[in-house]
Amino acid sequence: MSASDDQADVEKVLAGHVDAFENIVRRWQGPLVNLAYRFCRDRGRAEDMAQEAFLRAYRSLHQWRKDAAFSTWLFALATNLYRSELRRIPVRSVSIDDVPEPKDSREPGGVEAENRDRSVRRAVITLPMKYREALTLFYFHEMDVPAAAQSLGLPEGTIKARLFRGREMLRSKLLLWKEGL
Amino acid sequence: MKDPELDRILSAEEELVPSSGFVRNVMDAVRLEASAPPPIPFPWKRALPGLVLCGLALIAACVMALLRSDSPRVPQTLSPSIFSTVSSGLSELFHAANASGLSWIILALLLTLISVKLSLRLTGGRS
Repeated sequence: MSASDDQADVEKVLAGHVDAFENIVRRWQGPLVNLAYRFCRDRGRAEDMAQEAFLRAYRSLHQWRKDAAFSTWLFALATNLYRSELRRIPVRSVSIDDVPEPKDSREPGGVEAENRDRSVRRAVITLPMKYREALTLFYFHEMDVPAAAQSLGLPEGTIKARLFRGREMLRSKLLLWKEGL
Repeated sequence: MKDPELDRILSAEEELVPSSGFVRNVMDAVRLEASAPPPIPFPWKRALPGLVLCGLALIAACVMALLRSDSPRVPQTLSPSIFSTVSSGLSELFHAANASGLSWIILALLLTLISVKLSLRLTGGRS
């Protein structure tokens, strides 16, 4: 994925060549759908949200200032959309009890460890929105705090504080849950 | 569960591959958007004379109300009766406004403003 490809395609689209937008969609469909999936954990809804994000990007392509990378702008736009979509129609409220049972992972790499990992990921959904957003964006951007901060439009300090609190809440939820079993 | 373990689990998310028709669906929506006619702009040129007339009528009504009032509008000195002068002036203004139908004009202007705002919102705020 090169930034110059994005810029060239954006210029073509702005010049009236709508078909050039397809290159942008092909290039960014994976990241946008995956980001949406991490927010809602529903494949169908993730694709719908990603499609809406592309449509919104198409409409506001002229607003992209080239001082930031196209990807940064696109992720910020998509994140904003996903957040408001989830506020509008929240993810089916998942109780921690609904999350599959985490198995003991004394055997690393085994099926049990895999189950436990999946359960931990799903447990993120049970966190309050602001912590969930911070954790989702942080891990989506490969643990890059500035990138997560840019996508969410928040100061880095706020992201760090939310990550800290989010992890703490996740740990205590998982601990409570294990004790209750 | 320690931080590094949590980091490892949450980083190692399996990648979702978009469905095969995803690009086509997006491009269909984009082409539909591109072929849609632009939103109808608010007809400012036609509405402007009416709005100006309404504004002028409002100003004229205010001026008439002030001219009808007998009380001194600009007191020479700040006397203790300043409040009674102001209140009597206001009540005369109110009566004159009622007599000239100012309240109806204001109501009409407000309704116009609301309908303009609503139509702008419905057309996506683009004019």
